[in-house]
Amino acid sequence: MSVDLIFAGTFAVLALGIWLYAISVPQGGRTWWALTIAMVLLAIGGVLTSGSLISTICLDLAELAGVALVWSHRTKPAEAAARTYLYAILPGIACTLLALALMGETGNRPAIFVEDLIVFLIILGFALKLGLIPFYFWLPAVASTAPPMTTALIVAVVDIATFVELVAIRQTSPWLFTEHTAIWMIIALSSMFGGAVLALAQTELKRMLAFSTIADLGFLLVGLIAGGSAGIAGVWIGALSHALSKVVLFGAVGLGEMRIGRPLTLDTSGLGAQLPWASAAFIAAALSFIGVPPGFGFAGYWRIYIAATQFGGPLLIAALLATAALDLLCYARAIHRTWLGPAQVPIIGTPTHLASGVLTVLAVVTVLLGCYPGVLTGAIVPHLLAMTQ
Amino acid sequence: MIHLAFVPTLVLFAGAALEIVLAGVLSRAAKGWLAFLATTVALVAVLAMMPAVMQGDVLTATWFDWDTGIPLAYHVDGLSILFMLLGTGMGSAILLYSVGYMEHETEGTTRFYVLMLLFIAGFVVLVDAANLLMAYFAWELIGLCSYFLVGFWYKQQAAADGSRKVLIITHMAGYGLLAAVILLYVRTGSYLWTDPAMAAAFSGGIALLMIVAAMAKSVLYPLHTWIPEAMNAPTPVSALLHSACYVKAGAYLIARLYSIGPWHVGLGNVLLVIGCLTMVVGVVFALAQTDLKRLLAFHTVSQLGYVVTGLALGTSLGVASGLLYAASHALFKGTLFMCAGAVQHATGTRDMTKLGGLSSRMPVTTLVWIVAAAAIAGVPLTNGFVAKWLLFNAALDANQAVVVVVAWAVSLLTTFSFLKATVSVFYGMASRELCAEEVHEAAPTMQVGMGITGALCLVFGFAPQLIIQPVIDPAVHALGFNQQVQMTWLGVLTGSGSIGVTAGAAAGLALAVVFGFGAYHLVRAPLAAQTVAVFSGGEKLPLDDTLGAADFAEMAEEAFAPIYALDPDRVLFPVWGAIRDGATGARHFAAAWLERNPALTALVSAAVLLVAVWLL
Repeated sequence: MSVDLIFAGTFAVLALGIWLYAISVPQGGRTWWALTIAMVLLAIGGVLTSGSLISTICLDLAELAGVALVWSHRTKPAEAAARTYLYAILPGIACTLLALALMGETGNRPAIFVEDLIVFLIILGFALKLGLIPFYFWLPAVASTAPPMTTALIVAVVDIATFVELVAIRQTSPWLFTEHTAIWMIIALSSMFGGAVLALAQTELKRMLAFSTIADLGFLLVGLIAGGSAGIAGVWIGALSHALSKVVLFGAVGLGEMRIGRPLTLDTSGLGAQLPWASAAFIAAALSFIGVPPGFGFAGYWRIYIAATQFGGPLLIAALLATAALDLLCYARAIHRTWLGPAQVPIIGTPTHLASGVLTVLAVVTVLLGCYPGVLTGAIVPHLLAMTQ
Repeated sequence: MIHLAFVPTLVLFAGAALEIVLAGVLSRAAKGWLAFLATTVALVAVLAMMPAVMQGDVLTATWFDWDTGIPLAYHVDGLSILFMLLGTGMGSAILLYSVGYMEHETEGTTRFYVLMLLFIAGFVVLVDAANLLMAYFAWELIGLCSYFLVGFWYKQQAAADGSRKVLIITHMAGYGLLAAVILLYVRTGSYLWTDPAMAAAFSGGIALLMIVAAMAKSVLYPLHTWIPEAMNAPTPVSALLHSACYVKAGAYLIARLYSIGPWHVGLGNVLLVIGCLTMVVGVVFALAQTDLKRLLAFHTVSQLGYVVTGLALGTSLGVASGLLYAASHALFKGTLFMCAGAVQHATGTRDMTKLGGLSSRMPVTTLVWIVAAAAIAGVPLTNGFVAKWLLFNAALDANQAVVVVVAWAVSLLTTFSFLKATVSVFYGMASRELCAEEVHEAAPTMQVGMGITGALCLVFGFAPQLIIQPVIDPAVHALGFNQQVQMTWLGVLTGSGSIGVTAGAAAGLALAVVFGFGAYHLVRAPLAAQTVAVFSGGEKLPLDDTLGAADFAEMAEEAFAPIYALDPDRVLFPVWGAIRDGATGARHFAAAWLERNPALTALVSAAVLLVAVWLL
């Protein structure tokens, strides 16, 4: 099975889950529904036409739909966040389009001066679009002002589709990475460590999730830089796991927020007693996200560890494991200070069985895929191996 | 057809799946019986594999690709059988005990039994896996099960905090195992520890990484601090965690290092020091406890020190002593926890200052407790004595007399500690609140569960050859040692080198008994029973000035003050505080300088990036 198809299918399933969730826990009006449908279709179109100009245009439009989606919430903070998002996305789009134009259709290595310019534009373009450090401003702002499932769609669908585009570029023009490893590695490591450290310092869960997204994208970028069959396979699987886990995490936080009537922070203790299914889904997705077996995340993580060790030796794997340890501290704190312990906050509103059901199903899928990853990797890894050879 | 080696794993996973499917149909007791049945069938399958393994055969089997290029491959040898017996055997007894224990639990029984079965299944996969990546997977599976089980009563702050500590310490240390597996793969291109190329790639550094992971699982100093915090779990969880499926995982990994690559003498010495230090720190901290389960938890720390010390000796006798100690500890510690659970179940407390006089109201529990307490203290006729005796012999045989002195001293302190616990809980006077309560004996299934393991402490103490020949010897052979342990009734070693030690020790023991009797009669100690006279060394005290567990704990705290300063939490918490403060500082910097001026920051960063691309 083609990797593109698997990503397209995953986006479709996640979008369906988000829409079912949104029936139970409203995320916005008609504009929200229209924009999310457009955004998902564009992202799916982008991954299905991977490696072509149409793909780039589709994904850029999906990014812009994301900006419009944040804007559509019509609150002052949301509009400010959308502006920041737009100011990051527009130059990001311009940089990548210009770089792709300079590279031409073949993607072959150009003259040295042009090569440096292309590398600069590609790194800057994707760093702005993905929110890598130090160009991360829009992501935490969007996460803290937009409804959780809006952020989930941007992070799990648009960001991951954009990352898939970067992987495709890595496949067609490997020189972009192999000849400029140091600068890519600086961006990857600073995103990985910076994201993890800043996530650890957050008290509001949505901002914490945003920073941990940045950290995970840095981690995936290390796998991409390392390359090889293990690295690329790890990046694909890691990206799928990222998308799946992030929808569950933002969804659980959204449910919590709806039932307590305010943003979820580390001072909101004991929600698990009142929302056991959302709590269980959050815990399962969080552990999978940080690569704890038997979560699906581990299937991507161990491949990236191997690629990183082959590429950078024990020092690089030590760096990756140190980040994983920071992630663990961060998520353990979130789980224990928000969901577990004695209930301290009264809940309001009515139970949302549909939303809880969606999150539970997605969390169970995350665990089942982690218990038997061969069911998915068996379909895509041989294909990836053929691509990398 | 499915290979016999996979049957225990399959049965346990199937049991967990059935618990979920039938959750709405089965009563609480029926769920318990189903879990017990699954574990017992798994135990029978393990027993069915024993004859072949006793003859020196290794059962190897490969099933399907768990992940692409990662086959589910099993390698069942003597070591695997020993640890599978511990997991499924103790698991069966504890799950039988759980039927009665969990009957009054109003919520979460399905979750409890599913996690218990997965816990045991994960342990079975760990000890059977030929594939190191699968082994790591199983390692973390049991870690997660223990995390969720320790936090079973997650609405209580203490339980939630305890489970958090379990997760953080053991998972972080587990990265050592993961890094070792990755490094071995990068060097050999294989995940199979049975691959001959592994030995050449196996360095001291890789072994150290694995040992760090094992230290956290096996509660070796200084990575043991999670275990006393894990005591807010249901008692069957504590029993399984302490006796078989958790702390023994680390012991298994250390033993398995002998199979993977050449054993380094320096590494053995490091482990010897860690083992002895763990013995001492564990028992000294145990002396200061007044909470019955925390006392048992610290004794687990101390006892695991014995296990690792034996394994670290690096000789046939040493490894045999470590493995026998692991098996013996599983039996007596599992029994002690089940007894402690019965006490807590009946009285609603595990605070020894509030307990007392239970022997008349819980005679069966008292009897079983005394047997297990005698075993952990190393009283002859119990398996604890046999294990200690073999360890002392092995240490002398390896010219490690210091180990014998330390282990002997720790045994004495262990005896003191259990004397305190036994008298405080089962003898003397009960508190007023307890007198007013209707305290009942444990439920029949609980009595049978702890009774079986308690009886086995005596059986293997009286006839240790029943466990040495069929279980310990094949396990030792699996690790590449050919010398057999020659042991007869009561643990007496009959090997040529052991006769002198046995005769000398017997003479010393006889002399001590004679001296003791003589001293007792010379001093003319009072024969009349005192309430807690044992704490005063037989001295008569005024009725309103009796000594109890709390006084004993205070006395220990005073006597061993310098050792209490060795609490690793005094280092770990400031480290966590520094990380948190550093992260907060980074957040303030990012908010004040970067996020406040995003356009400027982006422009400056882009300029730096441009220069960097040109330069690098």
